Amino acid sequence: MILFLQLIIESLLLGAFYAFMALGFSLIWGVLGILNLAYGSLIVAGAYGAYVLYSYGGVDPLVSIPLLFVCGFLLGSLLQRLLLNRIMFGEPFMVLIMTFGLDILISHLLNLGFGADIRSIDVPYAEGSFWIGSLIIPEVKLLIFLISLLLCGLLFSFLRWSWTGRAVRAVALDREGARLVGINPSRIFTLTAGIGTGIALCCGNLYGVLQGFTPFDGGLLTVKAFLISIVGGLGRVESALAGGIFLGFLEIFVSFYLGENWKLLASLAVMILFLILRPRGLFGGRYYGEA
Amino acid sequence: MEKREKILLALFFLLLLLPPALSLFTSPAYWIRVLTSVLMLTSVTLAQNILLGYTGYPAFGAVAFFGTGGYATAVLMKDLSLPFWLSLPMGGLLSALLAVPVALSLMRLRSHYFAIATLALQLALMELVSNLEFTGGAYGVNLPIYRGPLGTLLFYYLFWTLALVTFLLNVYIDRSPFGYALKAVREDEVAAESAGVNTLLFKVLSFTLMAGITGTAGGVYAYWITYIDPASMFDPVLSVKIFVALLMGGVGTTVGPVVGAFFLELISEIVWSSFLELHGVLLGLLIVLTVLFAPKGFLGVRR
Repeated sequence: MILFLQLIIESLLLGAFYAFMALGFSLIWGVLGILNLAYGSLIVAGAYGAYVLYSYGGVDPLVSIPLLFVCGFLLGSLLQRLLLNRIMFGEPFMVLIMTFGLDILISHLLNLGFGADIRSIDVPYAEGSFWIGSLIIPEVKLLIFLISLLLCGLLFSFLRWSWTGRAVRAVALDREGARLVGINPSRIFTLTAGIGTGIALCCGNLYGVLQGFTPFDGGLLTVKAFLISIVGGLGRVESALAGGIFLGFLEIFVSFYLGENWKLLASLAVMILFLILRPRGLFGGRYYGEA
Repeated sequence: MEKREKILLALFFLLLLLPPALSLFTSPAYWIRVLTSVLMLTSVTLAQNILLGYTGYPAFGAVAFFGTGGYATAVLMKDLSLPFWLSLPMGGLLSALLAVPVALSLMRLRSHYFAIATLALQLALMELVSNLEFTGGAYGVNLPIYRGPLGTLLFYYLFWTLALVTFLLNVYIDRSPFGYALKAVREDEVAAESAGVNTLLFKVLSFTLMAGITGTAGGVYAYWITYIDPASMFDPVLSVKIFVALLMGGVGTTVGPVVGAFFLELISEIVWSSFLELHGVLLGLLIVLTVLFAPKGFLGVRR
């Protein structure tokens, strides 16, 4: 029973992080209709960013979160303006190839700069763990859990209550309708791409604190972000939380009962099943990107 | 046949005579190896053209069948000690058989949902063979080495044959009633259905053809490199190379995929072998630039 509770706690801690991780991916997909295959590599780039700031500049990983968000925002808007705006209204597979090309480019640039060795960001204040009864809670995981929830909450409030956030949701639901009420979709596209990429880099920061990383971790992270988006539905914070916690449970329980090796295969199998049976997710509504 | 296609056929026959001609001047081992991989990319690109170019479905994870064919061939040769000339067609056939249920379940999805679902299948198969006993797990399989009279030329000629057959198949599809049915699916599935085309049948046929050819290429590749592991047989980079070659040459044409595959693979072998470290960076840049500046291919799409 204790063991079972422990597994549930681990799943929830991991799930909240996954939810935040997938938010950027899901937002870009829901609002722009773009599947960004470079998303995972952007996360890894964020991890290296935080690593450089921490190891060479002595910047605390908690402080570098907003810094990386700003960098990601600028990078994402730039990529959207320069590359993706030109092709996103054409054949959908062109976007896939373009973002896959970006993925190869980013991961190899990181490999060129840092080598393929595992790096990690070890923060001294989050190394221990504490006990609640007979349950162990690692401090670093709890910290990441809380930050992820906080950032999810911020994004939720932004989308829900600010005028800009409402405009983003309006464009996601109906581009023509949004234009009729005076919203300029192309500005919203740039903004959303910026926010999404900002989330990716921030999330990389957390990822780097949570575990070691190499330049080529990106592909796997993209797959996870995709699975979470497809399980929950696109572009909503609630959906990402549901999807993230679902993936957390799936990974922790499969690893424990079947073995670490079967984790990825199980996720991929679930992903294919969802694509076939419920491509709009458990509680997804209609979004522009969902044909 | 069009003039371009005749020129291409003539070039194919020149390639048939190239190895003995080369050996008069230099030791041709390097060039044979480069051209073998060029012909391999040509065959899988032409196979994808049947599906994407004529039927309009982007199977981003077509390499799933490349790996299936390669592993099937390898396991049949190693565990059942079947000869290569029997294992290879069986490997191709198995890939095609696997393609039927996959097509039936996945081809209800459109555009990027379909593309991603096939990519997920590719990664899932990669994970599966890394976890199974008889496929050698993450360590892979060692195949027996071919010691016949042809040497590595065997693989050159096998890929040459596969590329030629697939090219002729593309030419046939381009102007036959079968091809018109595929194009009808590509242009408007609902309209095709209401005009009496059995769209499901043609979609499955087109997907299966692609998978069978890609699987056969995987089988030849496995025997050629003699050592296979999950990462090399289900490589996502190969998936994207197929699409870039198609984009460079022109999707949905007969000559385009061949030109694109030759251009891309020759560039990657010759220019980048001198910049080993920058290889991935240059590949990424090339992909981004291709999508940005040559969205219709060097030859232009003829649609």
